[in-house]
Amino acid sequence: MSELSSLLPILFEGFRTTLAIFGLTLLFSIPLGLLVAILKMSRFKVVRYPVTFYISVMRGTPLLLQIVAIYFGSYYLSEYSGFSISFDRFPAVIAAFSINYAAYFAEIFRGGIQSIPKGQYEAAYMLGLTKSQTFFRIILPQVVKRVLPASANEVITLVKDTSLAQVIAVTELFALAKKQQAAYASIFPLFVAGLFYYVANLLLSTLFAYAERKLNYYR
Amino acid sequence: MNSTNPILKVSHLRKSFGSTQVLKDISFDLNAGEVLSIIGPSGSGKSTLLRCITQLETIGQGFVSVDGKEMILSNTGNSAKYAASSVLREIRLSTGLVFQNFNLFPHLTVLQNITLAPVRVLNMERTVARNLGLELLSQMGLEDKAKAYPCELSGGQQQRVSIARALALNPKILFFDEPTSALDPELTGEILKVIKKLAEKKMTMVIVTHEMAFARDVADKVLFMDQGVVVEQGTPSFVFGESKNERLQAFLARFSG
Repeated sequence: MSELSSLLPILFEGFRTTLAIFGLTLLFSIPLGLLVAILKMSRFKVVRYPVTFYISVMRGTPLLLQIVAIYFGSYYLSEYSGFSISFDRFPAVIAAFSINYAAYFAEIFRGGIQSIPKGQYEAAYMLGLTKSQTFFRIILPQVVKRVLPASANEVITLVKDTSLAQVIAVTELFALAKKQQAAYASIFPLFVAGLFYYVANLLLSTLFAYAERKLNYYR
Repeated sequence: MNSTNPILKVSHLRKSFGSTQVLKDISFDLNAGEVLSIIGPSGSGKSTLLRCITQLETIGQGFVSVDGKEMILSNTGNSAKYAASSVLREIRLSTGLVFQNFNLFPHLTVLQNITLAPVRVLNMERTVARNLGLELLSQMGLEDKAKAYPCELSGGQQQRVSIARALALNPKILFFDEPTSALDPELTGEILKVIKKLAEKKMTMVIVTHEMAFARDVADKVLFMDQGVVVEQGTPSFVFGESKNERLQAFLARFSG
């Protein structure tokens, strides 16, 4: 048990980094995803096509690779171009996660926005609401309800995906647990780390279930 | 005074979807305080006509004026040149539309559905809008439903809320696009009663409907459309009685059976 008491503080330290990646990614990827969704529905091909390409690359290649590409890619780019655009490890992780998750959120949001009946827009138009009033007061609140279950999936996946940050040596929960595995010559630290992820996701699931119930006041 | 200056004037209106002409040279006008019923078989262009006048569809050719404001400035080649967007918005605010499927906002309460536009569009004070909303609801016999959500109401109740919502902007003309078509027969009556009450208060209305008896009773003027043209128009007693038009008679015969 003394094992556990020395292990837990280390893992908590890693968990803080994990939470930071998780929180910052949501903070950036949700608004970005909404913007990407709107751009993807643009009437203009010059807007729609690049956005479609961006989404297909983000969804079509491993996040692991994207993290590496952003970290080392930006490093070499600034080395050769002279511009200082290289990322530190942690910001590189946040950047990669944000643009990756934005692509997934964008598709969820687009599905939600397009599922709102045309009559809602027409009614708002006849009442003289502006386009932004229509979007923020009529469409978006209904979209939130519709995209909640699919978004919960993404959010829960994100908790586990944070472990990919170790590829560029960001010491999040799983990286530290692996180090302890070597030190203890036991896989016990990995299981404890697994418990951290599980409890975090249990909390999130409960939160989402609560939110869904809260939004159940209308159909 | 108004007979020379109609509140709604439609002249030579044309509209196509692709290569299909759905409205062919429609002309009519309506005086303030009058009720116009538009009847005709499905696909005759009735709803499209309403949607053109309420700006939900763009007009191909022709002119529309509402309360003296011209919606179309000129017709060039094969398109109509619309007035400035500020004018169009003014026109839109002076025309209310009641939809076949109500189109209430499901996430807002009944009262919020009604007060949203007065508060956000007309900048009406919240308490004033609230009182207006409650007043309209009691006119509709729904004073106890202010805090309900649309999904908790029957179809007839929802439609009455949507009428109240349209009335909250105090429109000059109220348009109805088959307001009872989505309702059970027993709920249809309550909507027709509401519309009749509005007619008694001299609300100017244009009603697309399949309820022939109602169209005859409530209207000052009836328009019969078929295949995108106005086949016959006149007083209810003319359209439903004296007219000898064959297409009209064939259409009416199907309803009297």
